[in-house]
Amino acid sequence: MSTAATPRPALAGIDPRGPRVAASLTSLVLALVLVAPQPLSGVLLGVQTAVFAIGAVRGVQHTPYAVAFRRLVRPRLRPPVELEDPRPPRFAQALGLAFTGGALIVLLLGATTTALVLAGLALVAALLNAVFGLCLGCELYLILRRATSHPSPAR
Amino acid sequence: MSVLSGTAYDERRGERATLVQFSSAFCAPCRATRRVLADVARVVPGVAHVEIDAEHHLDLVRSLGVVRTPTTLVLDAGGREVSRATGLPRAGQVMAALEAGVA
Repeated sequence: MSTAATPRPALAGIDPRGPRVAASLTSLVLALVLVAPQPLSGVLLGVQTAVFAIGAVRGVQHTPYAVAFRRLVRPRLRPPVELEDPRPPRFAQALGLAFTGGALIVLLLGATTTALVLAGLALVAALLNAVFGLCLGCELYLILRRATSHPSPAR
Repeated sequence: MSVLSGTAYDERRGERATLVQFSSAFCAPCRATRRVLADVARVVPGVAHVEIDAEHHLDLVRSLGVVRTPTTLVLDAGGREVSRATGLPRAGQVMAALEAGVA
């Protein structure tokens, strides 16, 4: 049970602007994937997939984008009004990994067009996150849980 | 019939109305929603705020048709659903829903 009287320790939260900046940089890299010639496009796709993997496994605050935000951007900003739970952006990183990882695999198999479509879908998700702050975990996590767990007998 | 009947949450319903919030771990606006609803429950007499972790109550989530978090249900004194909203609500919207449904 949560009690309003005891605020969480500062370590539990991350600056909410970090994931937004990371999503902006992600959008930029994915856009380059779509327009760059091969093999540069494939290399950038590999880089972004590695970044998503770090974000999904260790949390978005450990990705190179978030490190850049902390070193270069955050010192110039006022302290955040409130901190954010790092789990929702981590879920979004895992979804991004699924898309770019899939894109990378089909690219290596030679299906360039399919790979670009998957990278494009990842770009759309990252843009929605960067521009509108869309919370993918809110929209999808419960649906995934509903779909993957079997109903238990009535109690 | 209360939508929460058969669950431990049914005992925590408010005298006049209940704000039921479904939350999940990967939901960024759930914390802010908790704050808004808890504030309303503190200010308005007879109104209780009940937060339910959707992931651990999937039967209830299915029977109520909840698909995203945060989802807020407004229950009347008898525990019947009078309105629902998804996303981060504003305090004014919650107040209006209470006035409209639980007069």
